Amino acid sequence: MAQQANLGELLSTLDSPVLSERDEVTAIFKENLNADRGPMLVNTLVDYYLETSSQQVLHILTTLQEPHDKHLLDKMNEYVGKAASRLSTLSLLGHAIRLQPPWKHKLSQAPLLPSLLKCLKVDTDVVVLTTGVLVLITMLPMVPQAGKQHLHDFFDIFGRLSSWCLKKPGHVAEIYLVHLHASVYALFHRLYGMYPCNFVSFLRSHYTMKENLETFEEVVKPMMEHVRIHPELVTGSKDLELDPRRWKKLETHDVVIECARISLDPTEASYEDGCSVSHQNSARPPPRAADVTASPHVDPQNSFGSVTSTPHSASRPMSSTPGQPPPPLSSPAPRLSAEAPQAALWSPSLVCGMATPPTSPGNVPPDCAQPYSKAFGASGGKGTPSGTPATSPPPAPPCHSDDCVHGPCPPPTAPHARKEERTDPARPCLHRQHHLPNDRGLEELPGSKELPLSDLPGFLGGLASEEDSIEKDKEEAAIYKELSEITTADTEPLVPRGGFDSPFYQDSLLGCPRKTPSATAGAQGTSVHPESFNSSLDKLGPDTPKQAFTPIELPCGGPDESPAGSRERQTPPEPRILTPSPFRVPSQRGAGLSSGQPPPYDHLFEVALPKAAHHFVSTKTQELIKKVPGSSEGAWVPSASPLEVLDRLIQQGADAHSKELSRLSLPSKSVDWTHFGGSPPSDEIRTLRNQLLLLHNQLLYERFKRQQHAVRNRRLLRRVIRAAALEEHNAAMKDQLKLQEKEIQIWKVSLQKERARYSQLQEQRDTMVAQLHSQIRQLQHDREEFYNQSQELQTKLEDCRNMVAELRLELKKANSKVCHTELLLGQVSQKLSNSESVQQQMEFLNRQLLVLGEVNELYLEQLQNKHSDTTKEVEVMKAAYRKELEKHRSYALQQSQRLDTSQRRVLELEAQLAKKDHLLVEQKKYLEDVKLQARGQLQAAESRYEAQKRITQVFELEVLDLYGRLEKDGLLRKLEVERTEAAEAAEERPDCCNNSGSGPVRGHSDAVSGHNGETRPPRPGSTRGGGGSGSVGSGSSGSSSGSSQLSTPEKPPAQRAGPFSSRWETAVGEPSASIPATVGSLPSSKSFLGMKARELFRNKSESQCDEDGVTGSGLSETLKPGVDAGVEAKTPLSPDGPRPAPPSPDSVGQLRIMDYNEAHQEHS
Amino acid sequence: MTEDSQRNFRSVYYEKVGFRGVEEKKSLEILLKDDRLDIEKLCTFSQRFPLPSMYRALVWKVLLGILPPHHESHAQVMMYRKEQYSDVLHALKVVRFVNDATPQVEVYLRMYQLESGKLPRNPSFPLKPEDEVFLAIAKAMEEMVEDSVDCYWITRCFVNQLNKYRDSLPQLPKAFEQYLNLEDSRLLSHLKMCSAVSRLPYDLWFKRCFAGCLPESSLQRVWDKVVSGSCKILVFVAVEILLTFKLKVMALNNSEKITKFLENIPQDSSDAIVSKAIDLWHKHCGTPVHSA
Repeated sequence: MAQQANLGELLSTLDSPVLSERDEVTAIFKENLNADRGPMLVNTLVDYYLETSSQQVLHILTTLQEPHDKHLLDKMNEYVGKAASRLSTLSLLGHAIRLQPPWKHKLSQAPLLPSLLKCLKVDTDVVVLTTGVLVLITMLPMVPQAGKQHLHDFFDIFGRLSSWCLKKPGHVAEIYLVHLHASVYALFHRLYGMYPCNFVSFLRSHYTMKENLETFEEVVKPMMEHVRIHPELVTGSKDLELDPRRWKKLETHDVVIECARISLDPTEASYEDGCSVSHQNSARPPPRAADVTASPHVDPQNSFGSVTSTPHSASRPMSSTPGQPPPPLSSPAPRLSAEAPQAALWSPSLVCGMATPPTSPGNVPPDCAQPYSKAFGASGGKGTPSGTPATSPPPAPPCHSDDCVHGPCPPPTAPHARKEERTDPARPCLHRQHHLPNDRGLEELPGSKELPLSDLPGFLGGLASEEDSIEKDKEEAAIYKELSEITTADTEPLVPRGGFDSPFYQDSLLGCPRKTPSATAGAQGTSVHPESFNSSLDKLGPDTPKQAFTPIELPCGGPDESPAGSRERQTPPEPRILTPSPFRVPSQRGAGLSSGQPPPYDHLFEVALPKAAHHFVSTKTQELIKKVPGSSEGAWVPSASPLEVLDRLIQQGADAHSKELSRLSLPSKSVDWTHFGGSPPSDEIRTLRNQLLLLHNQLLYERFKRQQHAVRNRRLLRRVIRAAALEEHNAAMKDQLKLQEKEIQIWKVSLQKERARYSQLQEQRDTMVAQLHSQIRQLQHDREEFYNQSQELQTKLEDCRNMVAELRLELKKANSKVCHTELLLGQVSQKLSNSESVQQQMEFLNRQLLVLGEVNELYLEQLQNKHSDTTKEVEVMKAAYRKELEKHRSYALQQSQRLDTSQRRVLELEAQLAKKDHLLVEQKKYLEDVKLQARGQLQAAESRYEAQKRITQVFELEVLDLYGRLEKDGLLRKLEVERTEAAEAAEERPDCCNNSGSGPVRGHSDAVSGHNGETRPPRPGSTRGGGGSGSVGSGSSGSSSGSSQLSTPEKPPAQRAGPFSSRWETAVGEPSASIPATVGSLPSSKSFLGMKARELFRNKSESQCDEDGVTGSGLSETLKPGVDAGVEAKTPLSPDGPRPAPPSPDSVGQLRIMDYNEAHQEHS
Repeated sequence: MTEDSQRNFRSVYYEKVGFRGVEEKKSLEILLKDDRLDIEKLCTFSQRFPLPSMYRALVWKVLLGILPPHHESHAQVMMYRKEQYSDVLHALKVVRFVNDATPQVEVYLRMYQLESGKLPRNPSFPLKPEDEVFLAIAKAMEEMVEDSVDCYWITRCFVNQLNKYRDSLPQLPKAFEQYLNLEDSRLLSHLKMCSAVSRLPYDLWFKRCFAGCLPESSLQRVWDKVVSGSCKILVFVAVEILLTFKLKVMALNNSEKITKFLENIPQDSSDAIVSKAIDLWHKHCGTPVHSA
C-alpha cells in the first residue's frame, strides 16, 4: 500500500518542472521496473499516462524492457477495448512501436493485434481510425509474417476505410477525412508493397462489386496511379509472398523501402535508393516536366506557382508566421515568387552553371541532369542520395531527406535551386554571401567577397540588416541569438560526432567543398576545388570544428547562424539534425523556436507536436494552411498524391495565414482560423485538437519512415565506403600494375639486350667452332697421312724382320750341317783307326794260330807217344780220391751241424746274459733303493741314537751332579769316619782311573772281547752263561773277581759277568736275577731307567759294601793319573772325587768301568 | 719337465687370469705319488708355486729330511721320530727342565738344546740369541703345524736348515740394499739419509725369517721357499715390505722410528706383500728351474 502511495507521489513528481527531480524519479521508476517483474507498476504507469499523457511516463513506457512488455500489451489490449481510452492507447502503442522495441516480434502473437484490427473494423471515429491505421501501417513491416493470419482483416479495413473517404458516414469532418485519406493511401501503399498479389486479387474481388465501383473510381484508382506495377505480381504468387522465408531476410526498414520503391509519388519515392532513383528521376523528369505534377523541376515551378512546394518555401512563411509581422513574411514570399521563375528556369541550370559556367540559362532538364550528376555525382555517385548529408552520415540523411522532401533527385537540384532561391530571394548579396562561405574555401579568389567564416554570422547579419527589412531583421536577430546559443551548443557536439569522428571527415570535407563550390561558386571551376578545399581546411583548421564543418553546414546549417531571413529556412534542418527525437529540442527551444522557427511541416511536427497547447494550435493552423493548398491543388490537379494534397493544403493555409492572420496572436489566430474555416466555434477546439492529433500521428508515421531511411542510409553509406575503399584499392592496384608493366618493359628491353648479346656471343662461338673444326679436320688429315706412313714403314719393318729370321734359319741350318759333317768326320776317322788296329790284331792272331797249330801238332805227336803207361795208376788214384772226398764231405756236414747248434747255443746264452745283466741292473737299482731306504731309516735311527746319547749325557750330567751332592754328604760322613779316609781315597782314585783311562783300552778290549766272547764262553763256565755282553752284571762280576782279572782288562765283561753276577746276586739278592736278561737283550730307555735305578740302588749297596772291596784298589791306583785327568775333564766336581773315590769299593769302580765301557763303545 | 707335460694345458691360462694353484695341487699330488720322492723336483715345485696347505707339512718334512723319500719307511721313521721325541721329552722331564706347565715352545727349545747338546745346566740360565730365534720360529711353527711331534721336528730341522745358511746370511743385508736400490733408489737414499740402513731389523728379517713379523698364513709361503733352499726370498720380502710402506717410511725421519715401525708393521697387507715379494724374487732371480 505504501508502495502504492509512494507511486502516486512519485508520479506526481514526475512532471515537476525541476529537471533533476524529474530525472531522479525516472531513474527510480526504471530501477523499480528492473527489480519488479509484476504488472502492477506498468499498469499504474499506463493509467497515469492515459490520465495525464505525461511525457516522462511515455518515455518510460516506450523504453520498457522485455519482461514488462507483456503487461504493457495486455494493459493496452484492455484499454483498446474501451472506446474512451482507445485513442490515447493507440497513440501510446504508436509511440512504443515506432521506437522499435526489442519485443516487437511479439506483437504478432499478442492479443492486441486482433483487437486493434477489430477496432479498426468497427470504430467510427476518424481520429481513432486514422491513428489506428497509422499504427497498423507502422507495425506491418515489423511483423510481416503476421499478415498471413490477418491479411484479410487488413484488406477489409482498407476496403472499409477507402469507402469512408468517399461516403463519409456520419458527421465526419472534411478536415479529418483528409487525414484519413492520407492514411488510407499509406495503407494502400503498404499493402500493395508487401502483399501485391494478395492485395491485387483482393482489389479485384472487392471492387468488382457494383456498390464498391464508385469507391474504386474515386479513391482507389488515383492511388493506383501513383504506384508502379509490383515486380512480385509477375514473379510471385499469393502463397509465395506470404512465405515467412521471404520476410526473414528483410528487416523493417527494408520492408519500408521495398514499399516506397514501388511508389511513383516523388515524395514517397524519394526515400528510395539514391542511385537508382536518381537515375530514374533523371530519366523521368522530362515527361514529368511536361506533366508538371511532381517532378523535381516541376516542384520549383509548383512552389512558385503555389509558393514553393519545397519545404523551405513552405517553411519560410511558417518561420515568419509565428508572431512575425507581415513584411518579413511577405517579403520573402514575393521575393521567392519573384525569384521563382528564375529558379524554375535556373534551378537546374544554376546547378549546371555553378559547375560549368558556360552553360546557358536556357539549359533545360536534360542538361540539368548532367550537371547535377556532375556536380552532385561526386558525392551522389558514391551512393549517397545527397552530397551534403554524406559528409555527416548520421545526421545528414535526415537532414537532406527532410530538406529535399521531393526525392533524391529533386533534392539535389531542388536544394541547390533553393539555395539559389534562398540566397537570391534574400538578396544578390545574400547570394554572394552564400557564395562566400563556399568561396571562403577558395580563399581570396573572390577578393572583396572574401570573409572568414567566423565573421560570417556577423557579416550575414550585417548584410541581412542592410538588405532585409529592418523589422524582420530585428526579429531575426532575436531569433538568431537564441538559435546561435542552441546551435552552437548543439552543433559543436554534433560536428565531431558526424565529422571528425567519422572516417569520412576528409571525404566529407572533400565532398562538401566540391559540391558547394560547384553549386554556388561554379564560376571558379572545379579545377580549383582541391586547392580551395585545402585552403579552406587550412583556414578552418585552427577554427572550431563547427567552422571546419561549415562548408558543409553552410548550405543548410550555416544560414542558421545568420540572422538573415533566408537563414531562417535553413535553421530548421539544423535542429532537426541535432534533435532527431522530438523530446529534446522542444523543451530547450521553448517558445522562441516555435514562434520563430517555421520548419517544413514534417520537422515542425516533430518539434511542435509534443509541445504545449498553444504550440499545438499554432502548428495545427499551419498544417491546415498547408493542407488547404494541397486540397486546392488536389482540385487543380486531380491526380495529385495525397501527400501533395497535404503539402498544398499547408501551403495555402500558410499563404492565407500570412495574409489574413499575420498580426494575430496564436489564440486569436485560431479564432481567426475558425472564422476563416467557417466551422462552428464550439467544436472548434476539439476539432482542432483532433486534427492536431491526426497530424501528429501522421507526422510520427512519416518520421518513422524517415528513421527507417536513416537506417538504410547508414547501410548504404557503408557500401559506399566499401566501394570507395575498393576503388582506392583498385587504383592502387592499377598503379602497381602500371609499375609492374613498366618493370616488365624494362625487363623486356634488358631481355632483348641480353638476347642480342647472346646472339653475338653465339656467333663468335660459331666462328670459333668452325675454325677449330677446320683445324681439327686438317690435323686429322695429317694424322691419317702419318698413320699411313707409319703403317707402310711397319710393313717394311716386318718384311725386314721376316728376312732376318729366314736368314738366321738358314744360318742355323748351315751350322748344323757343318757340325754334323764334323761329327761324321770324327767317327769316320775313329772307325778308320779301329779297323787298322783290328787288322793288326788279325795279323797277330793269324800268326799265333799258326804257331799254336804247329805246337798242337807237336803235342799230338808227343801224346801219341806217352799214352799207354799212366792210365792204371790214374784210375786207382781216382778211386782213392773219390772215397776220400766222400769221407771228407760227411765230415764237413757233421762239422757244419755242430757249428749250427753251437751257434744257437751261443745266442741263447747271450740272451740269457743280457737278461741277467738287466736283472742285475734292476737288482742294483733295487739295492740302491733299499740302501737309501735303509739309510733313511738308519739316519732316523742314528738321530735317535744321537738323541739317546744326548739323553744319556744329560743323565750322566745329572747323575754326576747328584753324585757331587752325594759326595758333599759323604764329606760330612768322612768327618765321622776319619780313620778310613785314606783307604777310601785310595779306592776312589783307581776307580776314577778306570773310569777315564780304561776308556780307550776298553774300546780295544771290547773288540777283542768280541772274539774272546766267541772263543771263551766255555771258560767262564758260569751257571747262567749270560749272553749279554754289556750287561751290568758283568761289571759287578768283574768287581768280584777283579782281583784276578784286573790285570787283564781285555777280558770281556761277559766272561766276568758270570762270577760277578753270581756273587752280586748272592750279595744283593733276588732282583738282579731277572734283570740281566733284559739288560742284555735291549737297551731300551726303560731298561736304562731301570738300570739307572739299580745303579742308584747299587750305589747305596756299594757304599754299604765299600769296606768290603778295599782290596781291589791296588790296581786302580796304578792307573790313577789317567783317571784323574778323565774325571777332571768330565766333571768339574772331580776335585771332590779323590776323596770320595777311595772309600768306594772295588766293585763299584768296576761297575763304573763297565758303564764307561758301554758309553765308550757307543761313542766309538 | 715331466710334470709340465703332465700338467693341464689350461694351467697357463689359469695363471694368466689369476687363478693360481689350480694345477699345482695336481702336479704336486703326482709328484708325491712317486715311490721314491724326488727331492729336487719337490724343491723346484715348492720354489715355483705356493704349496697347498694340506701337503705343506708332508712336503716340508720330506724336504727337511724328517721323512725319507721312500713311502715304505715313512711309518717306521715317523715312529722313530716320535719315540725320539718322547724320549727326549721324558728325559727333560726327568731332569726337571720341563714340566707340564712349561710352554710348548720352551719345551721345544729345551729339546733342541738337549739334542744339540747345548742344554744349560740350569733352566734359569739366560737365553742366548739363537735360543730366542728358535723360540720365535717355534712359536710361528706351532701355529702352522698342529701335531707337536711334527712341529718339534720341523722346527728343529728348519733351524738346522737356517744354520746351514749361516754363511750366506751376512750377505743378505747387502743384497737387500742392492735390490732396494734397483726397485726404489729414493727410498734407499732416504733410508741412508736417516742412517737407518744399518739399523734395519735384519735379525728379525733374516735370522728369524720374519717369524713374529708376518702372520703365519703369509709366513708359511715365505718359508716354503726357505725350506726348499732359498734364503734370498727373505731379501725380497724385506724389500717389498719397505716398498709397500714406502709412504710411511718416507714420512719418518728417525731411524729408530723406522726400525720400530718396521718391527711392527701392520698385518693386513701381508698377503699382498708376500705375493709381490715372490713375484719380485722370480723377477730378479728368475723362475727356479729344475736344476735350481
